[in-house]
Amino acid sequence: MPNVGVMCFLASYGLAMAAEMSRFGWRNRFSQWLMLGLTIAGLVAHTLYLILRAQETKLPPLLSSSHDWLLVLAWLAVLVYLFVTTLERDLATGVIVLPLVVGLVVASLFVNRSSAAPISAYHGWIMLHVSLLVFGMGGVLASLVAGLMYLWQHTRLKHRQSMQPGQTLPSLEWLEKLNRVAVLISVPLLTFGMVLGGGLVLLGREDATLPQRVLRDPLVIGSGVCWLLMAGMFIWLLRSRVTPGRQVARLTVWSCGFLLLTVIGTQVLTRFTPGNTLHGSAARSQPADSSAQELP
Amino acid sequence: MNLLTVSCTHQTADLAVRERLAFANDDHLRRAYQRLTGLFPEAEFVIVSTCNRVEIHTAATATANIPSFAQLAQFLAEFHQLPLDEFVGELREFNGSAAVAHLFEVVSSLDSMVLGEPQIVHQIKEAYRVAEENQTCGPFTHGWFQAAIRTSAKVRSETRLAEGKVSIASVAVGEFAKSIFDHFGDKRVLVIGAGEMAEETLRYLQEEGVTEIIVVNRSPERAQRLARDFGGIAVPWVELDAWLRQADVIVSTTGADQPIVDAARFKAVRKGISGKPVFVLDLGAPRDFDPSVGELDDVFLYDIDSLQRTCEENRKARSREIEKAEKIIEAETARLMAEFYRRAGGEVVTRLIEGWHEIAQQELDRLFRKSTHLDEQDRQAIERTVARIVNKLLHPPLEALKDESQDGTAHGLINALRKLFGL
Repeated sequence: MPNVGVMCFLASYGLAMAAEMSRFGWRNRFSQWLMLGLTIAGLVAHTLYLILRAQETKLPPLLSSSHDWLLVLAWLAVLVYLFVTTLERDLATGVIVLPLVVGLVVASLFVNRSSAAPISAYHGWIMLHVSLLVFGMGGVLASLVAGLMYLWQHTRLKHRQSMQPGQTLPSLEWLEKLNRVAVLISVPLLTFGMVLGGGLVLLGREDATLPQRVLRDPLVIGSGVCWLLMAGMFIWLLRSRVTPGRQVARLTVWSCGFLLLTVIGTQVLTRFTPGNTLHGSAARSQPADSSAQELP
Repeated sequence: MNLLTVSCTHQTADLAVRERLAFANDDHLRRAYQRLTGLFPEAEFVIVSTCNRVEIHTAATATANIPSFAQLAQFLAEFHQLPLDEFVGELREFNGSAAVAHLFEVVSSLDSMVLGEPQIVHQIKEAYRVAEENQTCGPFTHGWFQAAIRTSAKVRSETRLAEGKVSIASVAVGEFAKSIFDHFGDKRVLVIGAGEMAEETLRYLQEEGVTEIIVVNRSPERAQRLARDFGGIAVPWVELDAWLRQADVIVSTTGADQPIVDAARFKAVRKGISGKPVFVLDLGAPRDFDPSVGELDDVFLYDIDSLQRTCEENRKARSREIEKAEKIIEAETARLMAEFYRRAGGEVVTRLIEGWHEIAQQELDRLFRKSTHLDEQDRQAIERTVARIVNKLLHPPLEALKDESQDGTAHGLINALRKLFGL
């Protein structure tokens, strides 16, 4: 079995990010290939790590722990980024995506690594609950990237600056569409994920303490607040067709950034407040027979 | 083998001269080729005729009857029915390797009015195709033009000569408008005024797919002419505000002596449709749009000065690549000439060139093994210098061989070379 650690792919992504940033100083095909090579190497190590973790915990990465959950999100972001870069090599997506990926991987080091106990009865539903939330968060991440690129492109155009040779950004029109689509897709996914989570709590109603534990879970509270925020933006986007693109981009950057920070922040907090969460190892303080109500 | 180019370009001749020497269409070219092959049946010809240049490239074996510069000048005078003394001073002559290098420079757009412009390579390919159709190409012109097209591709891929737009209209559309809009098929373009710059911008916009063009001008005749040329519609000047409201792209090029649109007017006419980005290209001097318009949200205002800066930066970036391109051309010229010499002198010449370069490389390898303090740049510089020395030393015997070949097969000289250099 290969010995793959988080640091392996974190270093790869970090170096890829440095290579991408170096393109601002001078244009070099070598640094472009180096950046791609490092990202691919990082993705391979990242994939191996997730497989090894799944074998170790005997759970799929999504059900395992917050640590694995964040790494899956980062893995999805890298996969999409590589796909886009293969299609359009000069697109300056890496400048925004790679720091986010590095941020997610770093954050994964500070959240729970221990896995929750498996639940055979609702395994499929829990898998769906977490998958919906991860893909919803993926949409949030895409919206954040589109918003940041929009603001970058907008500022460049307002200041009449040319792009560095060998670097391109998508048009404002395209970025605005992507931003709207990402929000409009992620909110239903997050909503269904949240509703399913609520359903799973109801299924475990034999445990009298569960409702209190749910209401005290910082992850549930944080996610709920963020969902409300995203849902508000979803409705606003559906209703407003004449809002300036820059305003939409700013709002999505703020709300998506806030959502990501809150979700990650609450996961970091739960590591230091054992017993307050139903998600991950902190729930281990509960009796063994109540593990049937634990959520990943 | 003989190579000759007679050239009349924007660098030596005015448009008035160039347009009189131009071969305007395929029929002209067909007649020109017929006449040339009638006069010089053993020679190969390719005529390049564009708005910036008229060139006749000709080649023949050493023993064949190739036209001289004077004969080609006479041909141009007769064909276009022009007095010779009206243009002969504007013609340039390139022989042998200089002719090869000249064509390579032309096709790589080093000789173009706009450095790095891409059209020339298509024009050269088209000229070569038409010559092939008229059966005036042969082994030398095939080798010459195919090498030229390869060289152009090499220059474009290995240098940044063709990067960045360098005309105001192309920068405006290519670098800025395309960064705002994803596609132009559903965009409405409003043209205010009917100047030449507006025409050029419209050409670029139409290439991007623009179909709806509105022209508003104080003079309805000029507006109608421009609208007709680009398939748009001309509207009266009084409707300006209504069209300002609906436009996605605005190109303004009036001769007004003060701004015709300020921020307050623009904001008022576009009230209720904010959120829709608008690209304003102000080509007027003095400006037609007050700079404060550009401060409005989602209004992207560009004037000549702001675009000129980008053009200049791109031009400078291209100029920095000239030296790199010239090195490629020098190497490719040497390669093609070696190929031609090989054909002319056969195996002996090839072995002579290869043998000398091999010896030079062996000595260089020995030197580099001993001189470990030399870095990669020094080594390359020494290699280039030695290669040039070898080429210069080889030049006289090869030229002698070429001259000798003009009077027939140079058996005597080839035998002498074999004996002298142990080939």
